[in-house]
Amino acid sequence: MPAEIEPENAPQSVRDVLSFTLADETYALPLESIHEILKTPPITPVPRAPADVLGIISVRGRITTVLDLRLRLHLAHEPASARARVLLVDSGVELLGLLVDAVQQVHRLNPDEVELSNMVSGELADYVVGIGRPGARRMAERDATSTEELLILLDPAALLRRVV
Amino acid sequence: MSEGDAREEFLAEAQEIIEGLSRDLLLLDQADKEGRDDPELINEVFRGVHTLKGIAGMFGYHQLGAVTHALEDLLDDLRLGRVSLTQNVLDVLFEGVENFQRLLTEDPDGPPVDLEAYAAAIDLVQAPAPLARETLEDYALDSSVLSVLTEYEEHRLRTNIEQGVTLFRLLVRFSLATIDSSLEELKTRAKPLAEIITYLPSMGGGGGEDIDLEVLLASRASLGELRSALGSQGEQLSEVRRHTTAPSQLPPAPSIPAVASVPSRPTSAPPPGPPIASERPHAPTSAPGPMDEEDAAPLAKDAPGDPLSLRSVASTVRVDIRKLDHLMNVVGELALVRSALGNLREKLRQHADEREITRELHRVGRTFERHLSELQDGILDVRMVPLGQVFDKLARIIRQVAREHEKEVQLVVTGAETEVDKLIVEELSDPLMHIIRNAIDHGIESPKMRELGGKPALGTLALNAYPKGSHVVIEIEDDGAGMSIERLVETAVRRGLMSHAEAEELTNEEVLALIFLPGFTTRSAITDISGRGVGMDVVKTNISRLGGIIDIHSEHGSGTKLTITLPVTLAIISALLVRVAGRPFAIPITAVQEAILLVPTMVRTVEGREVVTVRDTTLPLCRLDELFGLGTPNRKKRSFVVVTALANRRLGLVVDELEGQQDIVIKALGRSLSRVPGFSGATDLGDERVALVLDAAGLLEELLATTEWRRAGDARLAEGVRHD
Repeated sequence: MPAEIEPENAPQSVRDVLSFTLADETYALPLESIHEILKTPPITPVPRAPADVLGIISVRGRITTVLDLRLRLHLAHEPASARARVLLVDSGVELLGLLVDAVQQVHRLNPDEVELSNMVSGELADYVVGIGRPGARRMAERDATSTEELLILLDPAALLRRVV
Repeated sequence: MSEGDAREEFLAEAQEIIEGLSRDLLLLDQADKEGRDDPELINEVFRGVHTLKGIAGMFGYHQLGAVTHALEDLLDDLRLGRVSLTQNVLDVLFEGVENFQRLLTEDPDGPPVDLEAYAAAIDLVQAPAPLARETLEDYALDSSVLSVLTEYEEHRLRTNIEQGVTLFRLLVRFSLATIDSSLEELKTRAKPLAEIITYLPSMGGGGGEDIDLEVLLASRASLGELRSALGSQGEQLSEVRRHTTAPSQLPPAPSIPAVASVPSRPTSAPPPGPPIASERPHAPTSAPGPMDEEDAAPLAKDAPGDPLSLRSVASTVRVDIRKLDHLMNVVGELALVRSALGNLREKLRQHADEREITRELHRVGRTFERHLSELQDGILDVRMVPLGQVFDKLARIIRQVAREHEKEVQLVVTGAETEVDKLIVEELSDPLMHIIRNAIDHGIESPKMRELGGKPALGTLALNAYPKGSHVVIEIEDDGAGMSIERLVETAVRRGLMSHAEAEELTNEEVLALIFLPGFTTRSAITDISGRGVGMDVVKTNISRLGGIIDIHSEHGSGTKLTITLPVTLAIISALLVRVAGRPFAIPITAVQEAILLVPTMVRTVEGREVVTVRDTTLPLCRLDELFGLGTPNRKKRSFVVVTALANRRLGLVVDELEGQQDIVIKALGRSLSRVPGFSGATDLGDERVALVLDAAGLLEELLATTEWRRAGDARLAEGVRHD
């Protein structure tokens, strides 16, 4: 996956993120935290596992736990559609799968397109590092109030911390 | 070989030597207690330490080198009789082995090795023993012979004379080509009756093809007995008498020419560092091969005249267990390929015109299957090691703990040859060590107490291992004080785990099982050796993790027996595939006794729990769909009972369908699921299907313990057991 991104001598503050949707909102994770994107394989549920654990899958012979990112973010659970994908993310202890509704695209965010904000409150705040507005400059010329391109930037470390 | 590999190799070899040393020291300890002296064992230990010194030097383990060096000197004094073997000396030797171990593993938890203190301890016991300087001159031994004896040989000679053992002289002629095997044969024949003190070659005989040897033996047997034991080689046997008796009976001296080619050595020379092999001064240059070292003898067989062989004696290789794990995974993947091939064949079968190729594919598939299962068996076999490996380590601990606590304990081991997967053996040492410390600390009484109680002062700790089907049973049994049911109950009540009335309802077995609860200790009995922050609950958890079960049986006053039942391997297992609410689960076949059709009318309810009667015994049932919360249970549907059993516990698991038996590779669940009870892992069934593998031991524990406690009316205990 990272191979699709052209390596550039970009300044440190420019970040590549992968955006995906969950319950009509757009979220994003740092591109380098994502090892692989899988078409959702059949997931074997694990009885008596924590609620946000969807189950296990075999990734080339390796048993991998898949989490429902909707439940993790306290969103309503919905059965996975055909567009659903599993993002393989390294939690530091093991590779975990995160189920998302659909994967969108890779964005390159300039520093002025990221708002390190704490406008999100509640439990979600733990996982959110800020809001990304890709093409904010371009959009400002047209309709500054548009929310279409709002990315909720997630912190993978925080997201996976409580699992282990 | 990279440096890392070489280091691994060194560590493995050093470990092997240390284990060997430990074994020999225990034998030596036993011999000493029985009043025997066993010079060959001391030599064995000396050789081991010497080899260790050599390789430690090669790999830059200087501390280890220093300890081995000091110990080597002590051992040399021992075998030369300058120091006599006492329990104190044995303590120092055992401590040496401990130090080796610690230096090798660089165990951060253990106390640092105080080399100076250890050197001082060695010096203390190394003070020379008074030498009984009985002269050898009384004997009709040629001075040319006496002058070439090594210090060790002279020591053995003196010892035998002091003990009144008769000396014999044997003249043999061996062919140079077969000298090694002939010598070996001679040793084997003489061994039951006599000790071979030395053998010296004489240059006279045989015209280059043969060699004459003069062999000096010590034996309590008569000349006739010894001669018949030696068979054809014993023709030239005679007794060596004292001058005062009958010097005339000596064999003619000229037939034993002085060994002029051998540099004579003053007997008072200090023992040199080099190994025994090079110490013998009498090997003439014409002697073929290393005839002086028993171990080396087989080497020279194929190549007489070649004094050194670089070929390794052993035909074994050491392999990192992870490499075997990897191979096992490959086998697992191949098994998936096999089933994929099977599916292809099925598809092909639909086409009538491909019948020929379908048949052929079927045949090839069968061959593939056969070889695959051979490969799998082979890898499993390689992983197997005898339980003796861990028993030997325990023997060392037992001796140490017993001495620390001034208790007398003898260890009786049976079934050390029973084989178990290497990984299981590794994981077993800690739980076993804890159990054994407990047994010596709490179980076996002091010698005085034992005698008062009418028991022999020497306590017995038995380690028994035996295979039982696809499981291995290990029993740890002591003849100590046993456990007091009253005291256990009292403790449970005091800790608020249950009321007196509740405790009354427990059977003795259930009371004994209390010791496996976290934090349960009978306070008055705890001491620092067994109370190292781990209790029996940890032991139980560790055993469960290996898919095993631990049971306790104890009689107050006469001893305690712990029985551990373990699977032989964890790597690849046969499993029964079942379906519950449409989902596949695998149950290790080793835990399955039988599977029967569940007739709804068979089910009765006893104390709020469903049971069926199978072969006249009551079997508690567990409906997996309920336990796992899978959908709404449909009681009208046909279902099956899989009777799982471990040790003497049985449980019926109710499932919807039986899918058949299959070999599976168990893969661990991720850390995020390590707290989920009931599963020991998962397995890839191919076709993107993953099945959870039921942890039969865990389920038995969980469900049976829960009902037992529920019956006793205490939910808190049940909680404790479930989260154990």
